[in-house]
Amino acid sequence: MSTSTKSKDVARPVPNPKRSLITRLHMGTGVVVGVILAAIVYYLLKKSLLTYTDGAADPLSPHDNNILLLGTMFTWSIGFMIGIGALIGPWRWLVGKDLTDEEILYMAGDGQGVKRYFKYCTDHKVVGIQYLVGVMTLLGVGGTMAMMIRTSLARPGAHFVTPTVYNSLVGLHGITMIIAMIIVATGPFGNYIMPIMIGAYDMAFPRLNALSWWVLFTAIPVLCSAWFLGGIPTGWTAYAPLSIQAGPGMNAFIATIIIFAVSTAVAGMNITTTVVAMRTKGMKWNRVPIFVIGSTISVALAIPAFPTFMVSMIMTGLDRTYNTGFFDANMGGSGWLYANLFWIMGHPEVYVILIPGVAALMEIAPVFVRKPLFSYNAAIMGFAGIAGLSILVWAHHMYIAGWAPSLNGAFMVTTEMISIPTGLLFLVLIGTLWRGKPWMKLPMLSIFAFIWDFLIGGITGIYLSDVPADGYLHGSMFVTAHFHFTLMGAALTGAIGGLAYWYPKMTGRMLNERAGYISFWFVQIGFNVLFFGMFMAGAEGQPRRVLDYAALYKNSNLISTIGAYSVGIGMIILLWAVIHSARHGKVAPMNPWGAKTLEWTVPYPVPLTNFDELPIITSDPYGYGKGK
Amino acid sequence: MSHDTEFHVHHDSDAAVGRRERLGVRLLIVADGAFLFSMIFSYFYLRNLNTNGAWLPKGVKHFSTGSAWQVAIPFVIAAITHRLGQENKQTRNLTSIVTFVVLLVGGYLQWKQMAHMPFLLKDDGGIVSFNGAYASNWVLMAGTGIFHYILGAFIALGILIRNRTTDLPHELDVWRQRTAQSWFTWCAVAAVLTALTLSVI
Repeated sequence: MSTSTKSKDVARPVPNPKRSLITRLHMGTGVVVGVILAAIVYYLLKKSLLTYTDGAADPLSPHDNNILLLGTMFTWSIGFMIGIGALIGPWRWLVGKDLTDEEILYMAGDGQGVKRYFKYCTDHKVVGIQYLVGVMTLLGVGGTMAMMIRTSLARPGAHFVTPTVYNSLVGLHGITMIIAMIIVATGPFGNYIMPIMIGAYDMAFPRLNALSWWVLFTAIPVLCSAWFLGGIPTGWTAYAPLSIQAGPGMNAFIATIIIFAVSTAVAGMNITTTVVAMRTKGMKWNRVPIFVIGSTISVALAIPAFPTFMVSMIMTGLDRTYNTGFFDANMGGSGWLYANLFWIMGHPEVYVILIPGVAALMEIAPVFVRKPLFSYNAAIMGFAGIAGLSILVWAHHMYIAGWAPSLNGAFMVTTEMISIPTGLLFLVLIGTLWRGKPWMKLPMLSIFAFIWDFLIGGITGIYLSDVPADGYLHGSMFVTAHFHFTLMGAALTGAIGGLAYWYPKMTGRMLNERAGYISFWFVQIGFNVLFFGMFMAGAEGQPRRVLDYAALYKNSNLISTIGAYSVGIGMIILLWAVIHSARHGKVAPMNPWGAKTLEWTVPYPVPLTNFDELPIITSDPYGYGKGK
Repeated sequence: MSHDTEFHVHHDSDAAVGRRERLGVRLLIVADGAFLFSMIFSYFYLRNLNTNGAWLPKGVKHFSTGSAWQVAIPFVIAAITHRLGQENKQTRNLTSIVTFVVLLVGGYLQWKQMAHMPFLLKDDGGIVSFNGAYASNWVLMAGTGIFHYILGAFIALGILIRNRTTDLPHELDVWRQRTAQSWFTWCAVAAVLTALTLSVI
């Protein structure tokens, strides 16, 4: 490494003595403004809807009630964003009075300590930590629901919860975990680590970065409100016309997805622009770390995918509120329209979830075997191939629905073709490990876990892509086990590996290794027991999403429930380790793993603008064993 | 990864920021394009299915083909006037006013159509429903049009105010006008595609 530094002081803006509005706004003001505005809109809407029904004291019709709830939920979200100061920037642009340097620096959280985590802070590292806490919260909530589901299914007739509550649990668990999985790697690491990895001093759009997090934040209470509104009885897929007939809790689902789609579009645009336009000098495309490539492909895939889900949710909302007929056959609509729109998003979304997890593990592998990444180009081809094919496979979810039987063969072929780029990802990881001497730290263990788990997820996916086999397995516990092996096996395993790897950079401390190992084995053994039991139940014919089942399936269900408790214990230990180590963990050196990517060249705490002087890249990031 | 270091100023050049913003807006256009594609897909899918003959039930009125173009043309004009303003600094103030006003007019026309939809049904309880799948698709597309007009008017108003109050031509502002051009052009394309779709009843 050669250094040729021309140093020059960067003038720091003089603090503005006049306290601007920005300095007074925070999460608390956001909540207050959001709640007040939501209450006002609730009151006004209710009053106008009652007037519309001639002022009768009768309760509102379901349609009017849906208008009331959706209006209130969206107003909460908008009100919160006003209250936390998200609209100050656009307003100041509108009136021709741009934010001053002092205000920009203030918004970046300069010198504000812990308070900046509760403000509209534009520092990407703060946003990364906010996402990490958000992901852990969502995983905690969704995981608790999973435990309740498995407890209910521990033995036939257990009925730990009522059928209505069980239905709600299944839907809420599904959507909570899907949202958590979508942001599990790109949220924390894509925001905190990725800009440093490419040698940027910030994200391309810092204010939009904060926007993406806080908009998502407003969706969390909206989603939770579903519990108090009768739940989501449709499962996370929210198929129409079931979703049109569902109770008021469905409004929370609709609002959550629309708000989340906005957050995803903004985050996707921001990350993609940052990587394309803000790489430091010398960082050509073939020198970009593989995690950055994977995350960018993932979010770029999300940009066109999520709007179709948003459209389907807007249609569902219109059907529920204004009696349109998108999905009502009596009014010229069709449930298949929903299924198409949903799965045009739904299958690419699987890859939006898993690609960053795999990419994180590919980032880790060379560091822990001290070898270059095996075929960087194959990795990129794998990611790109998966992303490209993912938009051509959606109808394999609809074989049994009978949507277009003549297309089943074509969709079977495209789906099975995805095995080819997926195989490339295995090739890259195994090639990297081949004849290496693994340093068996926690991040490295995640790689082995991924290879095992995702292999099972992938192979069982081939059965489901096959039309005749799917005829038997569709809608069974086999499907549930398959996609958990895929999503948990790739995304969550990758994210846990990433957390163990980047934890020292994000907190300045080492993650408690002993607790990490114990957690790892509890989770991995429990995970395999849980979903092997589910494969057994599914192969025997047990349908998914049922509260009760025949005695035939009792052993496999009991096995699954035991596995689930093991995963639960493991995740609690990991949560403890993450929280405890942040305060009491061993202080981490600047580069504890001896890695070569740029994030390990900056100290902790990472300076506000990451680098005092932007680096110039002169070699690839995986030059292990090649000398300096 | 080995690296050298060099002096770094935390403020990028206006051109770099401008290019970055333009790329960001173009990515948002991709998202909006997917949204539009979904609506057009829905329109033709339900039209071709014509489930229970309820795409456009007999006797139900619909908007004329011309009305779809009526709300598309203001977007096209706005995109052209904004473009002209970029090319000629002397007329920038005037064209930015025209752009803003045209977008307001377009939004008003769209709003007026929504206020007078010919295919609404009301029952005794006063509940409004949309008669047929054509009506459902129309209202979604019109709603999207309104959203585009509101956003377009916000941007046009910002440009108008900045043209009059700030010290133009500041390079970043010039870049932002180019970025706005990407959005206005896209909105015009989206409006034309919507009008074409709605012309096939």
